[in-house]
Amino acid sequence: MERVLQAVPDQAASDAIKSDFIARVRKQRFSDKCRQIALNVLGVIIFLVLWELSPYLVPGLDDLLFPPPSDVVVIVRDMILSGELLKHTYVSVLRAIAGFIAGSVLGVLLGVLMGRLESLNHLLDPVLQAFRSIPAIAFVPLAIIWFGLGEASKVFLIAFGAFFPVWINTMVGVKSIPVIYARSAASLGARPDQIMFRVVLPAATPFIIAGLRLATAVALVVLVAAELVGASSGLGYLISYSHLVFRVDIMFVGLITLGVLGFLTDRLFLLVMSRLFPWYGIESGR
Amino acid sequence: MSSAIHVEGVSKLYSTSDGGAAWALQGASLSLRRGEFLCAIGPSGCGKTTLLNVMAGFFEPTQGSVRVDDTPVTGPGPDRGVVFQEYALFPWLTARKNVEFGLSVQGVSSEERKRLSLEYLDLVGLARAADRYPHELSGGMRQRVAVARALVNKPDFLLMDEPFAAVDSLTRASLQHELVRMWKELGIGIFMITHNIEEAVYLAERVVIMTPHPGRIQEVVAVDLPYPRNRASNEFGLTYARVSEAFHGNVEQQVA
Repeated sequence: MERVLQAVPDQAASDAIKSDFIARVRKQRFSDKCRQIALNVLGVIIFLVLWELSPYLVPGLDDLLFPPPSDVVVIVRDMILSGELLKHTYVSVLRAIAGFIAGSVLGVLLGVLMGRLESLNHLLDPVLQAFRSIPAIAFVPLAIIWFGLGEASKVFLIAFGAFFPVWINTMVGVKSIPVIYARSAASLGARPDQIMFRVVLPAATPFIIAGLRLATAVALVVLVAAELVGASSGLGYLISYSHLVFRVDIMFVGLITLGVLGFLTDRLFLLVMSRLFPWYGIESGR
Repeated sequence: MSSAIHVEGVSKLYSTSDGGAAWALQGASLSLRRGEFLCAIGPSGCGKTTLLNVMAGFFEPTQGSVRVDDTPVTGPGPDRGVVFQEYALFPWLTARKNVEFGLSVQGVSSEERKRLSLEYLDLVGLARAADRYPHELSGGMRQRVAVARALVNKPDFLLMDEPFAAVDSLTRASLQHELVRMWKELGIGIFMITHNIEEAVYLAERVVIMTPHPGRIQEVVAVDLPYPRNRASNEFGLTYARVSEAFHGNVEQQVA
């Protein structure tokens, strides 16, 4: 048998080429990142400039109906200095968090139980599905009658809205777990309750996380809807109030704050999840 | 310590989607003794996975009995470790935590868990990957972790359902070699399903040949070759031919 052996590559030379390669890749990544950030910032600047110039670009556009960013910035500054903006934001955030936590805890709990226990699923499914098809916003008047204009009605509505996406996703996740997970656990000596909490629950987390992320968006929608109608504080109230006194600039402040809040919530959510579940490759959607 | 799993006259009926029923396995009898290596081989539908599942205790047979010594099998247990084809590691746990799972649910202290898990990861040659997650491991490495996870419970028997089917052939050869080493070292009984005649002849002391429609055990061929076996030897070739013949003779019967 003929054998042809090739020379072993020189270690020092290939190490040098390798470190040079790594340095170049790093440099490339860094400049890509810088470029991305520069374009992000540029996009925002173009948007603001167009907005600022819009009264000159679009004939007949009224400052009062469409205040330019230079006006809005002044209002934002005043409202931050007076503490008003922080107060409304704080109240809204607290409501959203309380409702979100209540709704998602219940959603995960019922989702896991109904996903595992078939009888419970058959018992509760029709009623819950019926409630799921009613938009949470439709309950706003009823919640005000039942719980008044205080915190309870907002928290109830947000919890109601946040519950369904978490419940449905958890249940689907629990049902779609490969049977060999539970079998592996059982053959390793795990009891049914240990399988439920140490296998089923973690195995369903990708689905639960997707449900929670949907729920954060729903929570914000329901929050604003509830505050627009019956509240004496909060960002929804701020928008509704500015409508009454015909201050579109204040209304813009409310809208921008909601936008920033929604964006930050989603980013924070992804950050927390990737820290908590390093094994689960979350797409940041970038 | 148990000395054997006894399968006696085991049959299993499945309900089919058209409302009928089909025999997945009929009248299978087999004993797996401690220290013995058995391979079951057969085409799909021959009931080999059903046989493994009743031995593991994942479900009860329609007819017949499965016992560990004199105790009827009523469910899965840590005395019978199971290794699945793939994707059976818990993706939310690192390799080490996967290996520790069985010890943890049985209440073993955390220092003891750590010591044992590293010992068994070392046994399968993966101590360096202890803190990696399954998605960071290759297919072969995952199956090594799965073997360590089953073995750390010190089972008397190891049931393996085509464990190396999804692994490339070079890796498979080294996994087979190491499995023989561990089996000799630990003295456990191994029942392994494969669809690869060469794998069965390389590993098993007895090869269980199974046929479909209905699934049943056709015959058991003894392989009298010393370990470690040499694939290039004449004796290996002859045994391969014998098993292959038993297997294909049956396929021809089916066609005829």
